[in-house]
Amino acid sequence: MIEALWQNIDYVASVLLFCIGLYAMITKSNLIKKFIGLNIMETSVFAFIVALGVVEGGDAPIMGVGASPPFINPLPQSLILTGIVVAVSTTALALSLIIRIHKQCGTIEADELREME
Amino acid sequence: MKRAAVIVLLVVVAIPLVLAMADLPPYGSPDSPAYTHVGAYYLEHGVEEAGAENIVTDVILNYRGFDTEGEVTVIFTAMAAVLAVLMASRGGGEAGTRPPLTPPSVVVRFVVRVMAPLTLMFAVYVIMNGHITPGGGFQGGTIVGAVFIALTLVLSERDATRLIPNRPERVLQAAAPIVYCLIGLLGLALFDVYLGYPRTEEMGLLRTAMLVTLEIGIGVGGATVIATIFRTMGSDQ
Repeated sequence: MIEALWQNIDYVASVLLFCIGLYAMITKSNLIKKFIGLNIMETSVFAFIVALGVVEGGDAPIMGVGASPPFINPLPQSLILTGIVVAVSTTALALSLIIRIHKQCGTIEADELREME
Repeated sequence: MKRAAVIVLLVVVAIPLVLAMADLPPYGSPDSPAYTHVGAYYLEHGVEEAGAENIVTDVILNYRGFDTEGEVTVIFTAMAAVLAVLMASRGGGEAGTRPPLTPPSVVVRFVVRVMAPLTLMFAVYVIMNGHITPGGGFQGGTIVGAVFIALTLVLSERDATRLIPNRPERVLQAAAPIVYCLIGLLGLALFDVYLGYPRTEEMGLLRTAMLVTLEIGIGVGGATVIATIFRTMGSDQ
C-alpha cells in the first residue's frame, strides 16, 4: 500500500493540491479567494490527467527528424488544453461577476453579503 | 469547532482519493490502459492521417476538431458574457484621459517596451509552427494577450485602446469561430464532410495550409479575447 503510494507520488500530490483548493473554497469568505481555490482544484485535476499520460523516458509526441519512441501519450495533453481554456473562461466570467457585485454591494465578503439580504 | 469540521471533511475527501491513487497502474508505466488504446493509435497513424508532426495538434485540430470548435466558441461566449455583465452598468464615457492604473517606474516602462516586439515575434513563431513544434494557436494567442496586458500597464488608456484597431475589433474577437466555420465549410465543399481534411499525401500542402489557417485564426481570436476581457475589467471602476 505505502509502496504503491510512493510509486504514484505524482498522483498523490494532485490529491493534496485538490484538498488545498477545497480548503480555500470552504473556509475563505472573500469571493476572489474562493475562485482562486476553485482554480487550484482545477489545476490539480489537470496535473493528474497530464501525469496519467507520462511514460518512463518518453519524449514529447512530436514526430520528425530524430524522434524516437517511446512517446508521451498525446491524448491527455490535448484534452487538458481544452480544459484549461474552459477554466480561463469560467474564471474571467466569475471575476467580472465579482467586480459587478463589488460595485452593487460595496463588498465581496460572502458573509457580509449574506447579512445584507 | 468549525475548523475541526473542515479538517474532518478534508480527510474524508482525501482518503478515498488516496486509496484510488494507490490502485492506479504505476506512474510512467507503458502498459497502463490510458496508454495502450487510443493514444497508441494516434502516435502510430497521426502523422499520415492528420498531417501534422505534432501529434497534440493532430488531436486538437483534426481528430477532435469539433471539440475545439466548441472550445473557441466557449471563449468567445465568455468574452461576450464579461462584456454584458460589465458594460451594462457603465456610466457614460469620460474614457481616454485616465493615466495608467499605477504610474510605472522608468525601469518597468523601458523593459516592457524593449520586450514587447521580441515577445510578439516569439508568439508569431509559436502560432505558425504549432504543427511541427510545441505550441499552437491557443498558446501563441495567450502570449500575444500577455503582451497586450503588459503594454496596457505602461501606456495611458488612450494609447492602450489604439493597440487593437477599433474598426475590425469586433471581427477579430470572433476570429476563431469564424475561421473554424470557414475551414469546416471548405472541408464540406471539397470532401463532403464538415471539417473534412484530405487524407492522402498528394494534398498534404492543402492540409497543412488548413491547419495553419486554423492556428492563426485561433491565435488572433484568443489574443483579442484576452486583451478585451482584461481591458473591460481594468477600465471599469
